[in-house]
Amino acid sequence: MFELSTNVASPQQLRRGDFSAYDALYLGEFSCLSYPNNFCAHPEFLADAAEQVHALGKKAYLRLFAVPSNHDLPTVRKVIEAALALPFDGFEVHNLGLLQMLKEMGNTKPIHLGVFGNLYTDATARVVKDYGVTRVYPNPELSLDEAIYIRDNTPIDVLIPVHGKIPLVVAETCFIHENSGGLPGEDCKFKCAQEHWLTRASGDWSLKDTGCMTLSGADLCMLEHVEKLTAAKLNAFYVQSHGESPEYIATVGRIYRDAFTKAFAGETEGDVQPLLQELSGLAKMGLCNGYYFGDAGRRYVGRT
Amino acid sequence: MSNPALLAPGGTLDMAMTAVDEGADIVYVGPLGWSRRPYESEMTDDDIRAAIDYAGERGRQVRVVLNTFPSPFEMDDFARKAELYAGWGASGFIVTDPGAISLIRRLVPDTLIHVSIGSGITNSWDAEFYRELGADVIILPYRWDVEEIAETRCVSGIGLETFLFETVQTGKICPGKCIMSSYLKFREWLDIEGKDTFGSANRGAKECYRVCQTNWEFSAEHGDPVQIKLRRDARLMLEQLPVFVELGVKCFKISGRERPTAMIRDLVRFYRKALDGIAAGQTDMSVYVDELAALRARWTVEKRKRVDVLMDRAEHCADAAPALAMAR
Repeated sequence: MFELSTNVASPQQLRRGDFSAYDALYLGEFSCLSYPNNFCAHPEFLADAAEQVHALGKKAYLRLFAVPSNHDLPTVRKVIEAALALPFDGFEVHNLGLLQMLKEMGNTKPIHLGVFGNLYTDATARVVKDYGVTRVYPNPELSLDEAIYIRDNTPIDVLIPVHGKIPLVVAETCFIHENSGGLPGEDCKFKCAQEHWLTRASGDWSLKDTGCMTLSGADLCMLEHVEKLTAAKLNAFYVQSHGESPEYIATVGRIYRDAFTKAFAGETEGDVQPLLQELSGLAKMGLCNGYYFGDAGRRYVGRT
Repeated sequence: MSNPALLAPGGTLDMAMTAVDEGADIVYVGPLGWSRRPYESEMTDDDIRAAIDYAGERGRQVRVVLNTFPSPFEMDDFARKAELYAGWGASGFIVTDPGAISLIRRLVPDTLIHVSIGSGITNSWDAEFYRELGADVIILPYRWDVEEIAETRCVSGIGLETFLFETVQTGKICPGKCIMSSYLKFREWLDIEGKDTFGSANRGAKECYRVCQTNWEFSAEHGDPVQIKLRRDARLMLEQLPVFVELGVKCFKISGRERPTAMIRDLVRFYRKALDGIAAGQTDMSVYVDELAALRARWTVEKRKRVDVLMDRAEHCADAAPALAMAR
């Protein structure tokens, strides 16, 4: 009926997390190959991971590094070679050169275009569909109406993020490492394990930084709009959870699992205020609706 | 080996004509709402036509920058624009969206398509993807040096274009992979030609507020905040030119549609002289050191002024009433 997914970076996170609310897991931290035990960089972890996820009755999608330089390509190629021989349910690709590479390597698994694939138009969706892409994560700047138009006019499956911080920037260098005196190539000592924030008091601006990626300060929250999403016949939903605690992942997943189950069964959502309070309590910088309703990303638009 | 082309910005008709007069082989111009620049650095269709005529009469070319990521609802307008400019004699386009590249190639089979920096390529396989899609030339990231250029020449037959900048950037290096500005703020615009835009500069709205170039506080969970900028810029380059030419770089691009015309005039004059020297066998660029230093200093000052203007707009964005567009 619907698929609710989230992301898992490493075997450790896969073991300690409660993913019972989710139907599918995107394996790997796509913004940084140096992230400890990242599935994106360690082909030796992939067989066990695919087996574990399938044993939980969930789909396993493997993420590929989003910004590979020429120097990184041999590592990425090894990961792809290993994954092609394993029962992954698909790849997530952000980089168009890797689409080219997957085609050259004879991939037949479904490909999902990730958030940094810059999918803005149905014309581009048709281009990447020819490379084996079956699902796209539209650029966060697109409105819901635009995402639906792309789905219907390509046609192609679209992944709709419903909760979590919005990926805004992916860079080729680690901002945290660089600004703590680290040199390129040096061991980064996983400084991003601590939360880092960028704030600009005069503009009331805040962003979360994970080193190679900058995320929205506020958490995207679409709980009040679940009925609208289901009425539009959208059915692939995603919780962005990079850098969040196991409790966050479990709680958010449970709330949206319940909400979508009710909505798809035709039940009205009722008063969501207590749940919104719970979600607000997990969001340090508040909630937002992203760009879904044609506004600047950090604004929150209530149901009315 | 044919001589590489010098591409220069035409942020205004006056700037486009000046660049032609100073020796640019190609001038690039952006239509209102379609080229990721503020209103004052884009042109009306009348001015674009005049620029095409002016360049054509002098044996030069114009590329039209259509490098927004259009809305899926805008593709018909996008197609009409491309056909219009090709009909007027524009020799090519600078484009970002892969679907838009494919569309232009179908509509105008003989045109030249440059892949814009907004495509955010990071490796040589990206270049091959765009060649297969129908692009002729790809602009390489600022940071790429001899090794990456040579490798791309091996992997892909696509033409190579580089900015005239040195690879000294640090911080968030993310062309084509950033929507920070529109997350924080944007306003809707109605151009005098009727285009209604919203969202980020990526999508044709008028302002990327350059939030990466202002001061931020950066803090870890357990630590004192530090004042920081998110990005340090590249600077004008020169020394690498002979080897880049030797490697087969096809186009050298001066950026700066939003700079003063006098600055662009002097840059075109300077790089024209340098490229002509290389074509005549000159490999020692040290003779230009003083001239380059003065241009770098001017560039930095102008850039700072520009960032201040954009940040001011970010903070008071309802105040300004631009000449070529109306805030809605």
